[in-house]
Amino acid sequence: MTNDPNFTGAAGPTTEELVFDAKEAQRRRKPNTMQRVGDHLKREWQLYVMLIPTILWLAIFLYKPMYGLQIAFKDYSIFRGVADSPWIGLEHFQTLFGNDQFIRALRNTIIISFYGLIFGFPMPILLALMFNEILKQSFKKTAQTIVYLPHFVSSVIIAGIVITAFSPSAGIVNTILGWLGMDPIYFLTKPEWFRPIFVGTGIWQEAGFQSIVYLAAIAGVSPTLYESAVVDGASRWQMMWKITLPSILPTIIIMLIIRIGNMLEISFEMIILLYQPATYETGDVVNTFIYRQGIQGGQYDLAAAAGLFNAVVAFVLVMTANAISKRYSRTSLW
Amino acid sequence: MRTFNLAAAAILGTTALTSPAVAQDIDLPIVDEPLELTVHMHWARAQGYGPGGDTSKIYPVEEVARKQTNIHLIDKTSGRNTTDNAEAMNLLLATGDLPDIVGGANIRQPVNEYGPQGAFVPLNDLVAEHAPNIQAWFDEHPEIWDAISAYDGNVYYIPYLPDGKYARAWFVRQDWLDTLGLERPDNVDELYEVLVAFRDQDPNGNGVKDEIPFFVRDWEEVLRLLTLWDARSTGADVYHQFYLKDGKVVHPYAQEAYRDGLANIAQWYDEGLIDAELFTRGSSARDYLLGENLGGMTHDWFASTSGYNVALADKVEGFNFVPFLPPKSVSGKRIEENRRIPMKPDGWAISYTNDHPVETIKYFDYWFSEEGALLANFGVEGKTWDMVDGEPIYKPEVLDSGRPVNSQMYLEGAQVYRGYPQDYRYEWQWTRESAREGIKLYDTEDLLVEQFLGVSFNKEEQEVYDRYYPSIQTYMLERQQAWILGTGDVKEDWDDYMEALNNMGYQKVLEVMNSAYERQYGG
Repeated sequence: MTNDPNFTGAAGPTTEELVFDAKEAQRRRKPNTMQRVGDHLKREWQLYVMLIPTILWLAIFLYKPMYGLQIAFKDYSIFRGVADSPWIGLEHFQTLFGNDQFIRALRNTIIISFYGLIFGFPMPILLALMFNEILKQSFKKTAQTIVYLPHFVSSVIIAGIVITAFSPSAGIVNTILGWLGMDPIYFLTKPEWFRPIFVGTGIWQEAGFQSIVYLAAIAGVSPTLYESAVVDGASRWQMMWKITLPSILPTIIIMLIIRIGNMLEISFEMIILLYQPATYETGDVVNTFIYRQGIQGGQYDLAAAAGLFNAVVAFVLVMTANAISKRYSRTSLW
Repeated sequence: MRTFNLAAAAILGTTALTSPAVAQDIDLPIVDEPLELTVHMHWARAQGYGPGGDTSKIYPVEEVARKQTNIHLIDKTSGRNTTDNAEAMNLLLATGDLPDIVGGANIRQPVNEYGPQGAFVPLNDLVAEHAPNIQAWFDEHPEIWDAISAYDGNVYYIPYLPDGKYARAWFVRQDWLDTLGLERPDNVDELYEVLVAFRDQDPNGNGVKDEIPFFVRDWEEVLRLLTLWDARSTGADVYHQFYLKDGKVVHPYAQEAYRDGLANIAQWYDEGLIDAELFTRGSSARDYLLGENLGGMTHDWFASTSGYNVALADKVEGFNFVPFLPPKSVSGKRIEENRRIPMKPDGWAISYTNDHPVETIKYFDYWFSEEGALLANFGVEGKTWDMVDGEPIYKPEVLDSGRPVNSQMYLEGAQVYRGYPQDYRYEWQWTRESAREGIKLYDTEDLLVEQFLGVSFNKEEQEVYDRYYPSIQTYMLERQQAWILGTGDVKEDWDDYMEALNNMGYQKVLEVMNSAYERQYGG
């Protein structure tokens, strides 16, 4: 503002005007949230359309059923329905933890998962590294197809193959033992053999297919790294240790976290196909316990409680694994 | 044809539950104007009320029933994409929108649980007032009326009532016996000798000791051997069930006779008289072991096992697998534990949404009348069967079509799991001659034992049972298999075993079993 009485016209903008203009310009350059989202949607709408089925799937098959989880805390009657069944608090959980067979199933679940992790997790990585070292393309393709194959065979057939392979009279395993002068063993009724057979079957069935992820990761490693290593005179062994493995380490860690999250999801149809009362001692897991006690016995509320508990343990496991990984390797799921 | 009819009649004279005994007159049609009732009908052969579950078609039997009763059943089956009856029933109940009639397999437990909660109509008064044929049937079989009642004393469903007595029987390779110059075993000691001879004397003559003296398809069938030491393996037509001992409900696997019987089975298993691969052989055991000329003896279904003589006639020279009477036990008793249960958990019920309960019960009654029962058993007269001298006889094109008669009936709408009295004359006509001979043989003695038809628990009893029993049975089976396999000795472990059972609540389960039993069958 000026006090000059002769001043007649606006020589320049006032301070307020300048501030206003600046803000306006800023606003134009940086639109508000609504506009930004609108622009973004307009530009990228195809991506969002592709997202819809997944969101629907999540909502319908994973989030909506969570409503039914409340029956773990209710005295559930099918006829009364989920909403009208009376609350009974933690009674089902008390029943579960008062049952030695549930505790045993929980222990078996953890032990079998742990074996699966220790022996099963490195296998696809080893396979991928081995495939990567094969130079002859035709041999590589054939070998890959052979190890992928069991993944596409139904569990019922795999179980049939396993039962036959371990049969005391006609099975290949006992035939080989016979050549070595040993007595046949009725493997599938021996509690001490159940876990090795189950875990081994799982590895045989899935390792090949799981190696695809690592092969893809290896394919993404820049060839220039190998080229310069060759110039420096590195051996193949050194290249594998110093280049390939570190390059795919983030993939390995992500897969490990996912694996830990799914750790308690033992393929229970395979267990049902392979186990016997004689091997419940080492083979009965939480899911098979739920199946026998809950689904066959019609105790849906108790089964829901056992399932919920299983999920809570899995959740804690994946959170812990993620936190540890974030801390030490800077790789994490979220 | 003629002689076979006489044979049929002779056998039927000895079976108890034949033919709707006192057919009462009922007024047909039930309603003057056609009345549509919706129905849930979910069972193994059809998920839906139509041929093979195809509800766009109408059963020929249903067409006749419509004409006669003027009641039209309209399909409203839940869970048609699953073959699991329990799942379908749960789906139906969970939606809450019940059709007028709820029928099919395994409805007893849900109907008796949710009936008292108001989901189904109690049938006692309806039957007494409007269903003379059903009433007459149950007047003859009051114990079955007790068996189908719920815990509140009411009856909520009309069951499917199977006819005929025998299910499984003992079979032996007669040609092997002849080769070795042995008689059919008549008691447990002779049975042992025969099995030892099968093991050691190379009855299949291939010079290799590869015979498997005793084999089974379902490993549980090996437990029938328990009856040879006066123990039991089950009290009903499914495995591991409670049974009645001196008027009390007890579990067979907690009896001292069981301890001794199982010790002997373990011994036989150890000696190689029982298939070493018992627990993993599975359903193909019979095909494989008979086809390869390896198996000597089994306990299996009359109907299907008697078919091997024809099927293997060309493959195994002289093959002759015949039924024989159950060997006498150590105390000289001869029993066949396995029989057809006189009443199934299948049938149909009237739901609370039904506005025409009287018409519906009259309709249910129609299937117990002479006319209705013939329709339900044999299909449409003149199409699949004719009345010859007062006997319903299948037409030759049905018997000789090369397809099992029951499969044909399922498509006609006969032998469907509605509530009706089955008529054994239906099955006898297509039973193979060799099985007929076996049945006649089994009819020469009184072999069958009383069946435990189950109890309906009230809420408190159900809770006790659910809490303790599943774990108890798991434990029983674990120990049972371990003992047979030789892990541990049943006689040494017995006291610990019984103590463990009691700690797991066995006595509490027995209490609720017996209180429910007395309430249901006592009065």
